[in-house]
Amino acid sequence: MSDFGTSLSIAASGMEAQAMRLRHVSENIANADTPGYHRKVTGFETVLDQGQATGEVRLGEVKLDPSELTRVLDPGNPLADENGYYDGSNVDLVVEIADAREAQRSYEANLRMFDQARQMSASLLDLLRR
Amino acid sequence: MFEKPEVLKIASSLAAHAAARQSAIARNVANADTPGYRARDLPDFAETYRAEDAAPLRRTRAGHLGAAPGPAVPAAAERVGGGTMSPNGNSVSLEGEMVKAADVKREHDLALAIYGKSLAILRASLGRR
Repeated sequence: MSDFGTSLSIAASGMEAQAMRLRHVSENIANADTPGYHRKVTGFETVLDQGQATGEVRLGEVKLDPSELTRVLDPGNPLADENGYYDGSNVDLVVEIADAREAQRSYEANLRMFDQARQMSASLLDLLRR
Repeated sequence: MFEKPEVLKIASSLAAHAAARQSAIARNVANADTPGYRARDLPDFAETYRAEDAAPLRRTRAGHLGAAPGPAVPAAAERVGGGTMSPNGNSVSLEGEMVKAADVKREHDLALAIYGKSLAILRASLGRR
């Protein structure tokens, strides 16, 4: 029974991590037009319990993408310098959408694992009900 | 008492093996995007059951040292040379894990069906159908 318990908690941690990742992606997309915005990049890491890997996963530290900001030509903008340019964000919408899709796929995979472990333990308990 | 019929013993250790393997698969899927994670898997049930069966140590007295009682499920080990490695050092293939998950489900259903039917036979022989 404890194997199903660990399966469920590992799958739940995976879903939580992917949901957090999707949240950062949507923050990036929402700020695609914010001047001076650096996109947030996240990575995953395994959860350690007293030095032992539990198999669960969580989102690692959030970092800012240090790549150069795009220069936008808009002389009418109050932020524009003497040449008419201002700093936009370094968000690439295509990259963000691809990242969101990947997060969704991984979330679905974790959800399937969760559902399967639940079904297996339910059918095990069905044996007792006869 | 229910450990006596061999078929019940096989069925329950097959179910335990399926549960342990499901846990290993859930771990791989959750870590599908973790950099440096290596996929893990359990050896096949047929191999481990035979190995367990061949263990010559048998306790004839309570004080003897011997193999631990009950079905032993092997620990998940890193899979050697399985799948391709992505640039971040992760060797999990989601498709492969889905195939294994379907396999585990089938294995578990099989074990439970055999267990249930064997119990039904025992019950029928007791005349309580």
